Amino acid sequence: MKPTLDPITLEILFNGLRSITDETYIALTRSAYSTNIKERRDHSTAICDADGVLIVQAENSLPIHLASMIGLMDSLLAKFGRENIHEGDLFVANDPHVAGGTHLPDINLALPIFEAGELVAFVCNIAHHADVGGMVPGSMAGGMSEIYQEGLRIPVVRLFRQGEMQQDLFDLMLLNVRLPEERLGDYYAQIAACRLGERRLREMIGKYSIDQLRAAFDDIVSRTEQRMRDGVRTIPDGVYEFEDVMDDDGLGAVDIPIKLRIEIDGDSMHADFSGTSPQVQGNINVTMNATQAAVAYCMKGMLDPDIPNNQGVLNVCETSAPEGCLLNCVAPAPVAARAHTSQRIVDVVIGALAQAMPEAAVGAANGANTTAVFSGIDPATGQGYLYLETLGGGFGGRNDRDGTDGVQVHITNTSNLPIEVIETEYPLRVESYGLIEDSGGAGRYRGGMGIRRVIGPIGHDCTFNGAGERFRHEPWGIFGGQPGGRGRFVRVGADGAEQGLDIKPAGVTLGAGEKVIVESPGAGGYGNAAERDADAIATDRAGGKFSAEFLSTYYGAIGSGE
Amino acid sequence: MVWFVGVDVGGTFTDFYAFDAERGLEHVYKTPSTPADPADAILNGLDSLCEIAAIASDDISRFAHGTTVATNALLQRKGAPVALITTEGFRDLLEIGRQIRPKLYDFKADNPPPLVPRQNRFEIKERVGSRGEVVVPLEESTIAEAIDAVKQSGAEACAVGLLFAFLNPEHERRIGSALREALPDVFVSLSSSVQPEFREFERLSTTALNAYLQPIVTRYMDRLKDGLQPRAPNAAVGINQSSGGLMSIERAGEFPVRTALSGPAAGAVGAMHTAAQAGRQNIITLDMGGTSADVCLVRDGAAGIGYDQKIADFPVRLPMVDVNTVGAGGGSIAWFDRDGLMKVGPISAGAVPGPACYGQGGTEPTVSDANLVLGRLSPAGLLGGAMALDQKAAHAAFEPAAAQLGFSVEKAAHGVLGIVVSNMVRAIRAISVERGHDPREFSLMAFGGAGPLHAIDVAHALDMREVIVPASPGILCAQGLVVSDLKEDFVVSARIVADMPGMAETSRHVATLMAEAENWFAEEDVAPDRRDLQLSFDMRYVGQNYELNVLLDGVVDTSSAPIAFDCEDLKQRFFTAHEMNYGYFNPDDAVEIVNFRLTARGRLPRPTLTETEMTQRAPDPVGSRTVYFDGDAAVDAALFDRTQLLPGQEIAGPAVIDQLDSTTLVYPGDRARVDRAHNLIIELADAT
Repeated sequence: MKPTLDPITLEILFNGLRSITDETYIALTRSAYSTNIKERRDHSTAICDADGVLIVQAENSLPIHLASMIGLMDSLLAKFGRENIHEGDLFVANDPHVAGGTHLPDINLALPIFEAGELVAFVCNIAHHADVGGMVPGSMAGGMSEIYQEGLRIPVVRLFRQGEMQQDLFDLMLLNVRLPEERLGDYYAQIAACRLGERRLREMIGKYSIDQLRAAFDDIVSRTEQRMRDGVRTIPDGVYEFEDVMDDDGLGAVDIPIKLRIEIDGDSMHADFSGTSPQVQGNINVTMNATQAAVAYCMKGMLDPDIPNNQGVLNVCETSAPEGCLLNCVAPAPVAARAHTSQRIVDVVIGALAQAMPEAAVGAANGANTTAVFSGIDPATGQGYLYLETLGGGFGGRNDRDGTDGVQVHITNTSNLPIEVIETEYPLRVESYGLIEDSGGAGRYRGGMGIRRVIGPIGHDCTFNGAGERFRHEPWGIFGGQPGGRGRFVRVGADGAEQGLDIKPAGVTLGAGEKVIVESPGAGGYGNAAERDADAIATDRAGGKFSAEFLSTYYGAIGSGE
Repeated sequence: MVWFVGVDVGGTFTDFYAFDAERGLEHVYKTPSTPADPADAILNGLDSLCEIAAIASDDISRFAHGTTVATNALLQRKGAPVALITTEGFRDLLEIGRQIRPKLYDFKADNPPPLVPRQNRFEIKERVGSRGEVVVPLEESTIAEAIDAVKQSGAEACAVGLLFAFLNPEHERRIGSALREALPDVFVSLSSSVQPEFREFERLSTTALNAYLQPIVTRYMDRLKDGLQPRAPNAAVGINQSSGGLMSIERAGEFPVRTALSGPAAGAVGAMHTAAQAGRQNIITLDMGGTSADVCLVRDGAAGIGYDQKIADFPVRLPMVDVNTVGAGGGSIAWFDRDGLMKVGPISAGAVPGPACYGQGGTEPTVSDANLVLGRLSPAGLLGGAMALDQKAAHAAFEPAAAQLGFSVEKAAHGVLGIVVSNMVRAIRAISVERGHDPREFSLMAFGGAGPLHAIDVAHALDMREVIVPASPGILCAQGLVVSDLKEDFVVSARIVADMPGMAETSRHVATLMAEAENWFAEEDVAPDRRDLQLSFDMRYVGQNYELNVLLDGVVDTSSAPIAFDCEDLKQRFFTAHEMNYGYFNPDDAVEIVNFRLTARGRLPRPTLTETEMTQRAPDPVGSRTVYFDGDAAVDAALFDRTQLLPGQEIAGPAVIDQLDSTTLVYPGDRARVDRAHNLIIELADAT
């Protein structure tokens, strides 16, 4: 019989578990090699129970990784069964179609923890490796129509079998990726983080009884679920609908619809994406568990940002989408750029619930994961380099304040790379980095502004790949707010001539003296522009973020400063 | 007679500690702080102290001061209007920062607005490249335009932050001198002077903060200097830095951002000194006050130094004593979260209304109320009975929570203390276990008003064996000031691979640092036999992005002989640090150095312990108190008055030791003894 824990004992145990995932998260950030991990924090750490239920995730873990953790657990337990999981095993996987992943560069590890011969928990982490093989360096480029082209697919397999490293398998994995020495460093960091989590969990097991710990696992999830349900109950019952489109998939499909119908009934909700486009050839498809993770992110953000990250949240966010559609894709759909689509799912959920939750809703954010990748051979060293960066943009206007300018939004929160680091590590020069005039949609509370970066190679030819969204369709405003500015990619020749590039340009060669202008979208405003506070307009004008023409167009006489 | 005076300005009180090195005399004095002008309390307090202790103004040889002027100006956003001059194309850098939101899931959580409004950020045509080479030269005409813009903006201070200025400061220096000449009333902060390290946003942010604080701190320092002139004409005045050392009053005006975390740093220095007197090298400090607890790890007699901190939500990159703060204090409120879990803090009842037991209208249960309910705090109250505590109110505050839990009031109160302890334990784990240190090898030093009340529980949770409570836990910061050294940190930022060819360059950078330190010693008039140098390198594997600060003990001394470095030795030190911090290292991967750091210290004479007699006589209890050491049953504990305890005396738990500003618990089975320096050393019964 499991003990029932009082709220004090439970808080103390929960505190200890959070401490473990936060510690392993930081250890992984600091010791990894991939820029995605060390600087952009594209990784997560978690503890799951013996049934694969997600109990606790590090505070800064990314929402989409919530999906991968659970996907991995489901696949692992389905494939092996508890009877074939042994002490000293360490599992690895990345495949979205057979192993619960969301795209190939996210490498998932799970270490089962045993006590007295019995499976108690799994210590897990996920990290975005800078390369997992495939057609193009970085394994994130568009232009491919099958997942086979995107990199090495790893089903759930044992990297360690009862304590013994499976060197043959590891050799195969490393042979299929670029810069294997660096990836080895990432794997070491991930394995060390698992072992660290194991050590800490064992210390806790030593302090408390196994039964107490198991009771804590169950209580944490059920209390979180109840808390989430209490939140859902505050939304008026009803059916809420919204529709938006993705710009394109990089392979010819344009204006790809995402359609949502959310039904709220008491403390239950169901998000149904029927009517959404079938999966596309390009790499913006999303697996079902990633779709659910995006819905869960949004519900948490709108209802209760401080609610713990665990299975309890997902249990409430029932989500469905027809099999084979953009948001529930099946093999061999390519998925590398699923983050763009995840951002759009969030906007669509907000759009649907705006009327029901006007104080929590925000204008459409930059709705993209604007990506710029530069690769080439460094003329000074003769070595290949690959520099990937995602740019933030505008965050939507809010019910009581403007949207934030130049920031990562919703499901991503990755840091930029300092210019002094970019230029030291890569033969590139950043000519400017700033906010784009007039890119925040007007409104009572205006939308945030997009970012412009101008960058080019020094003394050699390099290749540019990019991926944008909301380059065709502006991020919409809400409750009368105006849309924000669109993004774009522009190539600037040595003579200064500008040439617009595709939304998802691939294989663009830049010679010495040439450069690329990367502009991320702004965001939509909240409420009618006529209601904007005069002081706020004065600030817009004084700081030069908005032109006189823009201000007089949207705010009339006050805007023109008369 | 030679008096050292330390003055620590806190939110409520300004504390004085005076020590006569020749005769071993000490005096403690407290006066209410004067937030409108902190110098009032300092100068008037100094007058009172000198009168009470019969200190002649000529006899004060050192005056050391920890100030919160900079911290408060930041928290209240009361700094000066600032302008910024930066490289063309980058005026939004300060605003975009790292482009991240402070809280991933919170649509409404924002970073603070930049201290320099956009219209005051001016671009200048110039560019330095990643090797320090000039890519676009700086023209005189553009300098004049920028200066004109700064003038028009009405800014009182101007920050100058250019890309790669840490490699080549020439452009910044030219702009700086032109600014000083053209606008003598405007304060100037150059990023290459404030903190010449790579990563432009953090450097820029630190520089902008410095500029923002320069006018207000300089005015304060000037007033203090004028006031001290007649009161302590012979005193060397030192201002405490966040790194735990003193600097001159002029330097404090030039680099005020260095004082922003000086309070906790002084506490750490005081704790280190106390530890040394108690013969301990390895301690973890627990400084618990009304709203928060600061913890810090001291190993081999030195506090850890961190380089990345946030002050008032702004990133600051400077050497600072590595203090971890958690919202756990006597006033922290216990509450039920939306999922029914009980939480304690970070919300605090503050000074007004304060905990329910203060009887000033507070009704929510706090940590202090829990301590009173459990008999751990005396109902006679704090400050030797000057402020009685209301037991009934404390009890009443806990009744609703107890009812909700189905617990007795005592068990609920005990549970609340368990949570606040677990929060402090988590903070300590972050600075110990998570950095490869085993807390069991450390003593826990508890101070601040509430530290000694909770220390035993914290120590038990971490399997620590020993708790030390200093003689005067409430004035440890002021004491720390008196024993602080003069200190200056130097840094060169350059990426060098740790291999044979890199060693020559390494020697060159270290020689540069040594020369700077030499100049500083001369400027500060530090006698040769009082000079100390400490070298450390920030190192990482090539390809990593976070560096580990690797101490190079015993590598430099104050002779000016050039130093040859052994790359194998350097790598070995790095591997050890990597293993310690992350649990592994790879001996085959290339290692690089990114920052070269040298800390120069001028050791000042310290108060020394006078011989005290140790007594074997058992101490006399002054009464007894019924105390709940656990949540279920109370026991009678002997009550002692700390002022009556003598070196050598021992107390067996259960016992309570009260003193003016703190209460210490001795658990059943534990033993406390008073050491030569009047510290209480509590040995825990076998750690469970």
